[in-house]
Amino acid sequence: MRSLLTLWSLAFFAFIYAPLAVIVAYSFNANPVNMMIWDGFTLDWYRGLFGAAVERPASDALYIENTDQLLAALRTSLTVAFFTTTIATVLGTSLAIALGRGRFVGQKALGGFLLLPMMMPDIVLGIGLLIFFLTLGMQLSLLTIIIGHCTFLISYVFVIVQARLAGLDPALEEASADLGASPFVTLRKVLIPQLAPGILGGALLAFVISMDDLVITYFIAGTDNTTLPVFIFGMIRRGVKPEINAIATLIILSSVVIAGLGLWLRARKTPA
Amino acid sequence: MRQSTFLAALLAPATLFLGVFFLGPLLIIAVFSLLTPGLYGGVEWSFYHQNYGRIFGWADGIMEIYEPVYLQILLRSLGFAALTVGLCLVICYPVAFWVARLPPRARLFCLFLVTLPFFSSLIVRLYAWLLILKPSGLLNQTLLATGLIQTPLEILYTQSAVVLGLVYVMVPFMFLPLYSAIDNLDRSMVEASMDLGANRVQTFTKVVLPQTLPGIIGGAVIVFIPSVGNFIVPDVLGGAKGLMVGNLVEQQFLSARNWPFGAALAMIVMGVVLATLLYASARARSAAHA
Amino acid sequence: MSLLSVRGARRVFQTPEGGRLAALDGVDLQVGAEEFVTLLGPSGCGKTTLLRAISGFEALDEGTIHLQGADLLRLAPYRRPVNTVFQSYALFGHMSVARNVGYALEVRGMGRAARQARVDEALEKVGLSGLGARAIGQLSGGQRQRVALARAIVAEPRLLLLDEPLSALDRNLRQQMQLELKALQARLGIAFVFVTHDQEEALTMSDRVVVMRKGRIEQIGPPREIYRKPRTRFVAEFIGETNLFDLDAQGRTPEGLIFAVPNPPAARFTACLRPSDFHLAEQGIAGVVTKVVYLGADLHLYVQPKVGGPELRVTARDHAAAPVVGAEVHLGHDPEALHLLEA
Repeated sequence: MRSLLTLWSLAFFAFIYAPLAVIVAYSFNANPVNMMIWDGFTLDWYRGLFGAAVERPASDALYIENTDQLLAALRTSLTVAFFTTTIATVLGTSLAIALGRGRFVGQKALGGFLLLPMMMPDIVLGIGLLIFFLTLGMQLSLLTIIIGHCTFLISYVFVIVQARLAGLDPALEEASADLGASPFVTLRKVLIPQLAPGILGGALLAFVISMDDLVITYFIAGTDNTTLPVFIFGMIRRGVKPEINAIATLIILSSVVIAGLGLWLRARKTPA
Repeated sequence: MRQSTFLAALLAPATLFLGVFFLGPLLIIAVFSLLTPGLYGGVEWSFYHQNYGRIFGWADGIMEIYEPVYLQILLRSLGFAALTVGLCLVICYPVAFWVARLPPRARLFCLFLVTLPFFSSLIVRLYAWLLILKPSGLLNQTLLATGLIQTPLEILYTQSAVVLGLVYVMVPFMFLPLYSAIDNLDRSMVEASMDLGANRVQTFTKVVLPQTLPGIIGGAVIVFIPSVGNFIVPDVLGGAKGLMVGNLVEQQFLSARNWPFGAALAMIVMGVVLATLLYASARARSAAHA
Repeated sequence: MSLLSVRGARRVFQTPEGGRLAALDGVDLQVGAEEFVTLLGPSGCGKTTLLRAISGFEALDEGTIHLQGADLLRLAPYRRPVNTVFQSYALFGHMSVARNVGYALEVRGMGRAARQARVDEALEKVGLSGLGARAIGQLSGGQRQRVALARAIVAEPRLLLLDEPLSALDRNLRQQMQLELKALQARLGIAFVFVTHDQEEALTMSDRVVVMRKGRIEQIGPPREIYRKPRTRFVAEFIGETNLFDLDAQGRTPEGLIFAVPNPPAARFTACLRPSDFHLAEQGIAGVVTKVVYLGADLHLYVQPKVGGPELRVTARDHAAAPVVGAEVHLGHDPEALHLLEA
């Protein structure tokens, strides 16, 4: 019974990680035509990504036409994620504090409403934003992408900071007020430092989701701006090419680093 | 600064932002779903109910033709989502149990392993399945090499591939609420049940399952909702046979250019989501009162 | 023949630091058919491990446990004819009070109607008649405690195990429940094995008290014997307040206090005297009161003997002329009360 459970669990983790392992392994496969048939080790696909000319037998395998496109997509993703994270963190945190500590009419309803953006399927939100922007006559641009991401990421930050706030003793703020601090000073000197791990965690999550968002961006990116996931989605739709493995491996690697960083930040907080 | 001014300063920007850019789009979908499609894309601002008629069967048959296929795809989406929920549950429950019994350090590590894929790109993970399921992909190569099959299996671009992809993407979302419910389960409950004479099966069905039900429902909801409206998974793995309602919506907006019809489809997805949420929160509330 | 018989029970745990800790280090215990036995000791003494070994949630490395001659260790927990009242109560929150109480009957396949009568009876025994339809969440702490009790007796076990069941209750309720538990045990005519770290609780309820320390039994006996005639220094200090004296063959402490010891057992030994065994007298041990603790009817005095050595604890009646801090007093004692420890 016990060993059956263990076996099942190990199979589960294999199921989760096998596909990622496949990508990493085949990103070093030299075979340009059928990338699933091992043909020797190569770093060519990585070199190709960074603009080095790759000598390959002429084949119908179409490589990235232009490294600049890839880098531009990455740059767009980073820009969007940076602004989105900043805005969503500020707005989400202020909502969490207002709902956690204030008292006002409709408080409960607002709390429930704030969960909706997380639960709304992204295709609905995506096309909604598309019609909305076009009906208002807004040009699809970086700005519309950032607004689009913020609509649901505010909620993610809100939920995480709220959870942290719920575990915080209100007496801390009462003590601060008792000692003569105004609400604003209490916010700055007591509440925000106490909430910092939650705020940081929320920001990290917002950044990761923004970097990874495909569906909403896909609808509202317009023609001039492409983020990394949309770019890869396009490549896959046009047919599977070996460079994708290399890009995917790099993305997996960076996500492991980010997740590790998040974990390390959390672990570092506890012993103190 | 007065307390209420302070509160308003915290609340106003975010509420205003979401009011405009979240509620606005949802409202405009509702409006568009009742407008007349324009001849060359776009809309004419006049009331029109046949967008829904095309789906549910009261189209006039001239301008708009009722096609049962839309309803079929809608039902298929619901079915896929339900199947995904069921499979995720069956897959995750034993694992969550196993992880909850590990020593603290190993437990943390396992949780990290489960959440890690969430941090890595969705599209990359689906792409991996594309590589594995292709006719010349890893799965077929392995099966052919071991002699288990003689001709390559056709998995990619089937409904199975879509469900497999959905399960793969959604599994962490089921795992976490299940794990937290099982981890919160007071072990003395299990001991009390056995102490009172219930065997392992009775203890599981009468105590463990009911006590972890909130986690099961929570996991089911957060897996079901994104699955219903998913369009990336069927797009990458499903092909024509695995279309879901999300693909229909996308087609109406980006290729067919029939926005009102797409909006009507999106409204239905939204309706399903809201109904699910209302059901779940009603359940949670009744559980809290019990 | 005794109802429960534990022989040579040993259980060693691996500590997180990699060390080994003997939670049970050779325990022998017999419990009679209608006996109320309390396992008493500080946390980590092995009392809970022993209880869990009887209920089946902890295995033994060595030793045997028999109930009415049947080998308990060969039975899964759910096949053992003993029931437990858990420290946290472990009530099933998703079931009503009645379903909680009837659970043991439900899992044995008894029908709803037949259960009903037994459930009502059990609820009545614990004083909760008519509350069967309530949800667990609507109950007070004391009521939960009673539900846990009713649930554990409904299947009519020969032996009821209670794992610090009163620790979550406030003082008044706890004292009331102590009396009720004792009465319930007598009425049911079954054996109770009760675990606690509260010595007052142990003395109040038990027929016999088992004092445990570091996985071993220090002493077994009726409450009066445990209190008046502790065998070891540990028991003397753990149960109630006491004064300990290291004496030589002439009955002298190192500082020179002299006690009358007719038959000294050894060249060096330890004797104990309870604070209530001292009385204020005209002559005797001379000392100065250093602290007075007011306890209502009684006073607790700390007296520093003139010859030196540790302060003595003395209980005295409170009255108008009672000594105050700084007063010079003489302490007498009943020679019979001086008890010699074996170790």
